[in-house]
Amino acid sequence: MSKSARAPGASSKRLAEDGGASPLSHSLHSLSLQHSSPSKPARSPAVADPSSDICPVCKSSRYLNPNMRFLVNPECYHKMCESCVDRIFSHGPAPCPIAGCKRTLRKAKFRRQTFEDLKVEREVDIRRRVARAMNKQESDFETLKDYNDYLETVEEITWNLILKIDVENTERRLRLWEETQKAERDPNAPRRLAEPDPSLPSDTSHVVLKKGATQRKALAASSGNTPDPFGTSDDADKDAGFVFHGLKKYVPPEPEKPFNPFGGWGIEPKYYVFQKDYDVDWLTRQKNDPGHLVGGYDMQDFYSRCLREAFGGLGIFIEDEIIARENQASGDAGVGTRSAATAAAGGKDVDMSDVF
Amino acid sequence: MTFSPVLSPRPNPPGTKMATNATAAKAKALAILNNSRAVPSPSVASTPGDGGLDLAEQMNDEVRRRFVSGTRLGEGTYAIVYSGHYRHDPSKLVAIKKIKLNADFKDGIAMDAIREIKFLSELSHPNIIQLHAVFSTKDQNISLVLEHLPLGDLEMLWKNHSISYGGADIKSWANMLCQAVWFCHENYVLHRDIKGNNLLISADGTVKLADFGLARSFADPGRDMTCNVITRFYRPPELLLGCRHYGGCVDVWSTGCVIAELAIREFFLPSETDIQQLSVICDVFGIPTEETWPGVSKLRHYEASFGAAAPKHPHGINYWKQRFPLLGEDGIDLLRGMLRMDPMKRLSATQVLQHPYWTNAPRPTKKENLPKQGGGEKTMGEDLKRRGGEIETGRLDKVARKLDFGAMKK
Ligand SMILES: Nc1ncnc2c1ncn2[C@@H]1O[C@H](COP(=O)(O)OP(=O)(O)O)[C@@H](O)[C@H]1O
Ligand SMILES: [Zn+2]
Ligand SMILES: [Zn+2]
Repeated sequence: MSKSARAPGASSKRLAEDGGASPLSHSLHSLSLQHSSPSKPARSPAVADPSSDICPVCKSSRYLNPNMRFLVNPECYHKMCESCVDRIFSHGPAPCPIAGCKRTLRKAKFRRQTFEDLKVEREVDIRRRVARAMNKQESDFETLKDYNDYLETVEEITWNLILKIDVENTERRLRLWEETQKAERDPNAPRRLAEPDPSLPSDTSHVVLKKGATQRKALAASSGNTPDPFGTSDDADKDAGFVFHGLKKYVPPEPEKPFNPFGGWGIEPKYYVFQKDYDVDWLTRQKNDPGHLVGGYDMQDFYSRCLREAFGGLGIFIEDEIIARENQASGDAGVGTRSAATAAAGGKDVDMSDVF
Repeated sequence: MTFSPVLSPRPNPPGTKMATNATAAKAKALAILNNSRAVPSPSVASTPGDGGLDLAEQMNDEVRRRFVSGTRLGEGTYAIVYSGHYRHDPSKLVAIKKIKLNADFKDGIAMDAIREIKFLSELSHPNIIQLHAVFSTKDQNISLVLEHLPLGDLEMLWKNHSISYGGADIKSWANMLCQAVWFCHENYVLHRDIKGNNLLISADGTVKLADFGLARSFADPGRDMTCNVITRFYRPPELLLGCRHYGGCVDVWSTGCVIAELAIREFFLPSETDIQQLSVICDVFGIPTEETWPGVSKLRHYEASFGAAAPKHPHGINYWKQRFPLLGEDGIDLLRGMLRMDPMKRLSATQVLQHPYWTNAPRPTKKENLPKQGGGEKTMGEDLKRRGGEIETGRLDKVARKLDFGAMKK
């Protein structure tokens, strides 16, 4: 597979051919194909040889020094031993000591190799980085097809980065996309200037970029109906990096209402006004009885209960309530309750507020 | 005691406007009959004539046939509880509480059952257990069909040390409990047996007040009430001292004890006898005097309890801060307000809900995020499904689901 063969649609074709094997296995497959590609032997990271336990920089061997650890820097993935890293990069950024590699490396970016094969290591890093920016889910799209198209575009982006095609442009779009997404979610956040991520390979050629863009335009024009998710806009203000068909607009979650300790319930007498005290002869004895006061017996509870029970049932129409309940049982709650409420509001003649 | 035909207005459920409260509120006086949807018309059902017995039997049969009884869930003092479901829809679970035949009530039903039916059929609130129906069986046993609440109770929760929880969780449970108590009092019902194992937990994590076997209406002035109610650990000092006129404040004390238990994960005021209960209370709150609680020395058991006792002083704020760090300062203030010795100074259920603790940070945990424990048959099934090494709490479940690779999109 050569660079020029990569175009939108290619990844989907391959996916179809392989009948849904995991994306990672695809990449392994194609990387091993590319391994023998003569187009860029110098660029290709050192081939991981399980038997090679010798540091390419200082040539010390793990055989003699079992504690030796190898580190890589995602800038170029050239492997070297820990003590070389300490020696060369402790005083600040320095060029990679591997012949032919002129990248400037920082000590902080060195880390242990997770995968034996450095190509896999690099691909996993790229996939992780793309997944961080492209984190939409099926529910974010109008249809399953829109979602699948999106996934395909994501795969496209990943492959462009893995195969170092159109890297600068893809990176720029990814960052734009991340920025727009972040701004949408948190409009008040300061808009960080998109700066290149130094942890990512930024190898690119403008020739490829231009060529790729024209190719894509041509392809989009010929296929007609499918909108090009890579967009064609050069308008920096509006550019969100990518445009996806059927992506639902982000709806910010409603701000939470303040907590109501009463659970939203309330009771207010409708037909009378409640007084703190009622001066009636037959209650004076209990009102002043220490035996009632000492135990917290509350005369007001008694007054309000008497009134509530006297007025209870006014304006209540049992039949309406039964209808409402039956409706509720049959899943038509809203209508039933509302019709009952309307019926109740009609019973104006029982409104005898403030008779006391 | 008979069923009161009086309709009383019920508080407005959330979402209804005040103007419509009278109707939107539930009038459940006819609850048991109304629950049977096949009853021809309410007028027939509510007119017991000479042929009423037959009609009543028919209706009873009709109600009974609507439920299928299953395995035994547990046994209480006066009832055995079975799991069950609606015949027409086995996914609608219920708990069927079959009242035991009692030699003392040969010719009638146990008072506990009467009280439970009377009050549960009137109270309709998300934090109070729902009574679906009542029926009797041929052997004259009465059965209550209750909401199925499979996730144990608050006491099991704090005792289960495989569950860990924090201040926001406590606030959430405590709020559901306090809403239930407030709603009872707002409808002039004293529960009189609030304790951790009467606070059951539904499948979705809602706390529901249950067991109204000792409940009663607020008494009229001058009418004596018994002071021999409320499980001892939760019994307020006025009842221990023999007071016969009391109000909602007795339930508020019990509620305070339950919240305290949730916070310290042990019984707050445990004792062996009623006398010892008073002394345990006074160890924390001091011995009440005429200054701290006017009239207390006239209560029936005051002399016997404190006549010769050396004075005890209440613990200061540092005791509370050390013992209840999970409640925070506002929570401690609320708790102390609910546990005032003098019931006149104790917060009412309404004042409890008006306390700033509820709206201060942290916000109470949402029901769906509360730590949960299993219970009943369902958990056993769940246990089998679970793979080795997984721990069950609501939160971990969620995380596990997120890591489910099978659900990942290619
Ligand atoms: N609504 C319910 N849903 C599920 N289980 C219940 C329900 N009510 C009671 N139980 C179970 O039955 C047992 C006995 O209940 P109950 O008669 O209320 O006991 P107690 O007399 O201890 O209050 C409880 O411990 C509980 O496990
Ligand atoms: Zn070296
Ligand atoms: Zn290098």
